[in-house]
Amino acid sequence: MKNIIKYTTVLLLTGVLLFTSCKEYLDVNTDPNNPTEVSPDLILPVAQKYTANIMNASDAGGRRLAALSNLMMYNWSQSDGFSWYNDEFNYLVTTNFYSALFDRVYPYALKQYTELENLEAEYDYYKAIGMIMKAYHFQILVDLYGDIPYSEALQRATIPTPKYDDAQTIYEDLIVKLTAAIDLINNVPELHKTPDTDDAIFGGDMMKWKQFANSIKLRILTRQMSMSGRSAYLTAEFAAIATEGSGFIDADVAINPGYLKEKNKQNPFWNLYGKDEGGTLTLTSKATCATQWVLDYLTNSNDPRIDFIYEKPADGHLGVPQGLKDYDTPIPDVYMPDKVSNLGPGVLKGPSQGAVIYTLAECKFNQAEAALPGNGYLAANPKSLYEEGIEASFAYLGATGASTYYGQSMNNVGYDASANKLEAIITQKWIAMNSITAEQSWFDYSRTGFPSNLPVPMFAPTTDRPVRLFYPSSEISANGGNVPTQPDAFTAKIFWAN
Amino acid sequence: MKKLMLLLAFFSIVGMQVYAQKTVTGTVIDDSGEGVPGVSVLVKGTTVGTMTLGDGTYSVEVPDGSNTLVFSYIGMETQEVAISGNVMNVTLSASSEDIDEVVVTAYGIVREKRETTYQTEKVSSEELMTSAPTRAAAGLVGKVAGMQVNLQDNGVKPNAQILLRGLRSVSGNNEALVVIDGSISSMSAYNDLNPNDIESQNILKGANAAALYGSNAANGALIVVTKKGTLSEKLTVGLNSSVTFEKVAYMPDFQDQYGTGWAGAYDNVENTNWGPRFDGTLRQIGPTFPAGHALTTQMVPYAPVKDNLKDFFQTGNTIINDIYLKGGNETSTYYLSVGDQRTKGIVLDDSYRRNTIRVNASKTIDKVVLSSNISFLNDKVDVVGDNIGDQDRPLYWFVLNTSANIPLSTYKDWENPKSYAYADNYYNAYYQNPYWAIGTNRNIDYSNRFNGTFNVKYDVFDWLVFNTNFNVNNSWGTGKDWRASQAYDATLQPSHSYVSSKVEDFEFQDSRYNLNAIFSSNNNLTDMISLKVNLGAATDSRKYRESTITANNLSIEGFYDVSNGTGSPVINVNQSQRRGIGVFGDMTLGYGNFIFLYASGRQDWTSTLPVDNNSYFYPSVGLSFVATDAISALKNNSILSDARFTVSNSTVYSSFRPYLTNESYSQAGGFPYGDVNGFDLSRTAIDPNIKKEKLNTTEIGMNLSFLKDRISLATSYYMTKTTDLITYTTPSTTSGATRVLTNIGELQGKGVELTLGATVLDMKGFKWQLNANYTSNSSKIISIKDDLDEISIWSTDSWGVYAVKGEEFPQIKANTYKMHDGKFIINPSTGYPIQEEGVHNMGRTTPKYIAALTSIFTYKGFSLSATGDYRTGHVYYEQGSDVMEFTGRSVASVSANRQDFVIPNSVYETSPGVFVENTNIQVQGGDMNYWKDIYNQVKSNYIKDASALKIRELTFSYELPKKFVKKAKLEKLKIGFVTRNLKTWLPADNRFSDPEFKNQVSRGGSTTPANAIGIGGYMQSPPTWSYGFNLNIEF
Repeated sequence: MKNIIKYTTVLLLTGVLLFTSCKEYLDVNTDPNNPTEVSPDLILPVAQKYTANIMNASDAGGRRLAALSNLMMYNWSQSDGFSWYNDEFNYLVTTNFYSALFDRVYPYALKQYTELENLEAEYDYYKAIGMIMKAYHFQILVDLYGDIPYSEALQRATIPTPKYDDAQTIYEDLIVKLTAAIDLINNVPELHKTPDTDDAIFGGDMMKWKQFANSIKLRILTRQMSMSGRSAYLTAEFAAIATEGSGFIDADVAINPGYLKEKNKQNPFWNLYGKDEGGTLTLTSKATCATQWVLDYLTNSNDPRIDFIYEKPADGHLGVPQGLKDYDTPIPDVYMPDKVSNLGPGVLKGPSQGAVIYTLAECKFNQAEAALPGNGYLAANPKSLYEEGIEASFAYLGATGASTYYGQSMNNVGYDASANKLEAIITQKWIAMNSITAEQSWFDYSRTGFPSNLPVPMFAPTTDRPVRLFYPSSEISANGGNVPTQPDAFTAKIFWAN
Repeated sequence: MKKLMLLLAFFSIVGMQVYAQKTVTGTVIDDSGEGVPGVSVLVKGTTVGTMTLGDGTYSVEVPDGSNTLVFSYIGMETQEVAISGNVMNVTLSASSEDIDEVVVTAYGIVREKRETTYQTEKVSSEELMTSAPTRAAAGLVGKVAGMQVNLQDNGVKPNAQILLRGLRSVSGNNEALVVIDGSISSMSAYNDLNPNDIESQNILKGANAAALYGSNAANGALIVVTKKGTLSEKLTVGLNSSVTFEKVAYMPDFQDQYGTGWAGAYDNVENTNWGPRFDGTLRQIGPTFPAGHALTTQMVPYAPVKDNLKDFFQTGNTIINDIYLKGGNETSTYYLSVGDQRTKGIVLDDSYRRNTIRVNASKTIDKVVLSSNISFLNDKVDVVGDNIGDQDRPLYWFVLNTSANIPLSTYKDWENPKSYAYADNYYNAYYQNPYWAIGTNRNIDYSNRFNGTFNVKYDVFDWLVFNTNFNVNNSWGTGKDWRASQAYDATLQPSHSYVSSKVEDFEFQDSRYNLNAIFSSNNNLTDMISLKVNLGAATDSRKYRESTITANNLSIEGFYDVSNGTGSPVINVNQSQRRGIGVFGDMTLGYGNFIFLYASGRQDWTSTLPVDNNSYFYPSVGLSFVATDAISALKNNSILSDARFTVSNSTVYSSFRPYLTNESYSQAGGFPYGDVNGFDLSRTAIDPNIKKEKLNTTEIGMNLSFLKDRISLATSYYMTKTTDLITYTTPSTTSGATRVLTNIGELQGKGVELTLGATVLDMKGFKWQLNANYTSNSSKIISIKDDLDEISIWSTDSWGVYAVKGEEFPQIKANTYKMHDGKFIINPSTGYPIQEEGVHNMGRTTPKYIAALTSIFTYKGFSLSATGDYRTGHVYYEQGSDVMEFTGRSVASVSANRQDFVIPNSVYETSPGVFVENTNIQVQGGDMNYWKDIYNQVKSNYIKDASALKIRELTFSYELPKKFVKKAKLEKLKIGFVTRNLKTWLPADNRFSDPEFKNQVSRGGSTTPANAIGIGGYMQSPPTWSYGFNLNIEF
């Protein structure tokens, strides 16, 4: 009996002890695995990595802007044995088509950059970087979708259904924001933190950030050069860039947090279109190849870049028309992956290559366009900028002989020999952006119609390519009250292309 | 708290009485004259009582002033007998479910059914074990009204989901609470029970019954009591053995007219079936081998091979052996069992082994009973991996990607380089040989569980019992998944990529501790008025930790240790902890033993809410009225034996998961890169004003029995209203979040349950019993939020499971065709049908009603029993046919004979609003592209009627007569032939698999949230049926 009383007492005491320290007993709600606060140097590299992902590919190999734009610009096609790019070849622009380009920008890269933007003055450099990168993304969002959520966006639970803002208004505000970012950098308080290796783009070099901000402005302004009635605005903005004085970028802008040959750590473009971390060619690398049209174009203009953009198979270059259905007639197996021109060593450099988001070549071509006599926004020689652009493209790809190439007296190759200088600039930009930042060429195509005579896929439902994407189904279901009526994907051009 | 103090005060006053005593002895026997051990003998109006011993005898001290004894035993009719003299012998007869039964309710509190104010249902050991299931959940299917048991896969260690009365929460847990031997346990612990050790299960269907459990009560409860010995019972040793065989029941319904090929042309290496029509000619399959190769080109007839996929699966088998012994002396009881289960799956090399041990023992010392119920399990699962090949696919994928003309089962010899089964020689250029997959991908898991409940019961006074339970429920385990690498000959297999090797180590530890203590009193205030009061407190604590280490690209082939990886290993650790405290009390006020008023309250404190605002009160009230005892005109009525009516109402709040209320960061994918680390702010935003979900339940019930309980009918109608639903709303992604955790509007559930039991025939030893139950349930979303009419539970761009305002929950939505007047609108330039924007409601995913029937014939020792159920009124997304459409095996893809065709019943728009009948514009790509690119895009094509009629169990058994058995020095000998899932009838348009299935990864986790009901699984093997024998011997 005594034992039992003891036994009961022990049990009861345990209970009593638990009750007496009730408050402490219950205070165990701190997550041991996830912090609730982190410093900006841990936020920035994640944001930049996400930027690289949305431009190239997700870590898991999801297709992003690179695939869409290279397929739209007829740079890429599909080899035998794969069923990879059917929606693209059918121009099947639906609410599910490349929806990641919308859905995976705001809650990934932009969310992280917004965290930086909301920091106190000590972190003004981080804040400025956040603003510059947001402008970079918002421009591309406008270029793909037109009106988008902007002023009310990125406030999480506070505004779960942001309204849509007018595309052109956003464009103008981006210029204002970029100016403000440069001001922040120039007027940073004495006590401030400077990014270091955590800045995966410029390693904390704030001069370069200012140049990049100006170069994004250049991209935004160039896009509007085909619009009527815009020249006063453009003139004023170019003057402001000149006055600020930092100039434009002098090298390719690439994101590299430290990519290396390990699972989930490779450059995302390499990881999808090159080899996996074990060194094996990915299925997508086998599936993806040149179109014969682009190969012919490069061959006919004696362009040495052909062997850098595309891999040269043992039997010579071979491309596939987009949308080809019967790969085996008349010759079976002619388009097998090892027989066609897959992506080449100039764009697939290795697992630790940086993810290029703005090339020097593009910057030069944009300047050349701004300097064209008909525009005159920049006081510079368009021919030398044009040739510097080609030089920069050769340099990035690792090709040589740029001057021999552009020295040819050939339309859209030699500057002087080109009948339409704008066409020459845009066409050369198309070649230079191939498999790098080809979306710029797609936007140029909607705006200018160059390069001329670019084919559409076999069995394509239309005679010309889409000019925009559909708002994704996630917006229709979660933000139905605000999302605009879906504009026509083939005719409703973004404001700057009208 | 105030209520509680009042109760306490009341309670101490009524206890101040002293009784004198006398002793009554006797024997309790059953209909056959055998002594019944373990019968509760209670002095009415007190807690004084005893149990009958092994021979049915008892002795009880009766306090002065008491004049009635109550004899009760689970499964038998309770008898109240007036005390007359010192010896009282009583005969108890078996009862159908009627109001004189006793039921085990919350915290193991035993109540007479007549005084409960809600509906409960009991499943006995015999009912559970009819078909010798390996898991208790499988034995419950179809046996309880209001209970939906979903057997979600048919792996060697299957998963089940148990839902009581549909769904009440949009994002929270909807699964029933499991209580084992008086302590809160878990569904996984329930799955780990040896079903042979279960004595009975009481199903408390609604929150009203379970309200004493506080936040855990919302989904009803499954009260499991394990087998025990009885006092002075002589030693029984028993053996339960069964052997069952498992076979594929049916395969997906595929076309068998067209074979390997692409775009209408034959292709010798294709996984797809877009080739020409089968013509029986001999054709090459697989690569062309170079001169000097050991193999010559493989030629097979271009014709379907019967059952080529079905024959990939073998006949699985399960052997179960349980040895048990039980007994007791005057002061102690024991039950001991050792169980062993060995299963071979229908997939080659899949195996499962389980060992269980249970020791339940008790010791009575004076007024104290000490008891412990301890079980231990260890098991091993060895199955094929989930991420096979260069595309990380599940095994079934490889099987399904085999054309009808391929003799699949001839490819077993995958290790032999001179065989067509060898990786380089296999015919399929895109998906590997499934036999190869089995040999090169393994998931092996070991798990253990210790579940111990220690109980002290102390009869403090005649009228007061103190009962305390301490429970330890710990499980832990390790796992290893590995995948071997595979290189390919570039000429023979140009389309395959190198398959990289990897190994993943997994460990988990789940520790739960529960402690509760209850004072129970029982008093007759007057002759007519009785009062029972329970007061108690409980604490629970749970800690979980799991870790995985994945190493990739192993250096040494066949050596599966994480040290063997190259590059950085990927490491994940997850920990969580939660604690809770509750105090509770209830009282049952009875008048004349025919009307009972019940009230309960509980105050909870939980760790998962901010410390200063972490408390909730849960009230419930109820009334039970036994009309046949209250109204003299109804007493001793020869037709209507019993009539009882109940009504009750309760409010409970459901609890949070730990750490839910904070927005946090986590390390971003790929990081760290060298010394650069990175953290990602959660894409889930948290509403700062988040509060607990509130569930109010009202239940009305009626129990009738007729013709001396020969027919019994139990019905109930319930209404649940969940407000402040905690859920993840989907904001616009442009908000920077993909989910917002917040409270939303209201979910209303209502339903009807009906259980009808009848002894149809009972003559000359022949007995036919029928038990039918019917459940209809509706869970409707009344409101969500301003400007928000739906939320996604799990969705993709083109389909998903949603909560939609004004619709049944869960609701499946999918993209669909644009229609005009019931006709498809096509694009006149392509002939393709045009799609509606967005996704549209397709229907509810839980059955509108379930009807089940169990029929038992017995004649002497023979018994034939069958259980079947029919579920209908719901749809599901047949994911399997969707993901397989591109292979050209769907029946739809041959509906136009692989020709371009005019979409039947279609129109096109010539100018806005003007539609013209389409008679001539053909769909292009009818040979392939239309089906795989266009038709496949429209997911409403894959929303199918989920109705199913199943014969769940059909068994025949024979128990040898006692006298015959006794000659062989045995106590019992019973043999049986059992079948499970003998036959399933599905609607004609359901062509793929069992709608109950859900994608599971082998480690038991699911790929979609638990409430995303309606997403058909395709990753596990096809549905199966099984048959076998069992044997029960007792010595």
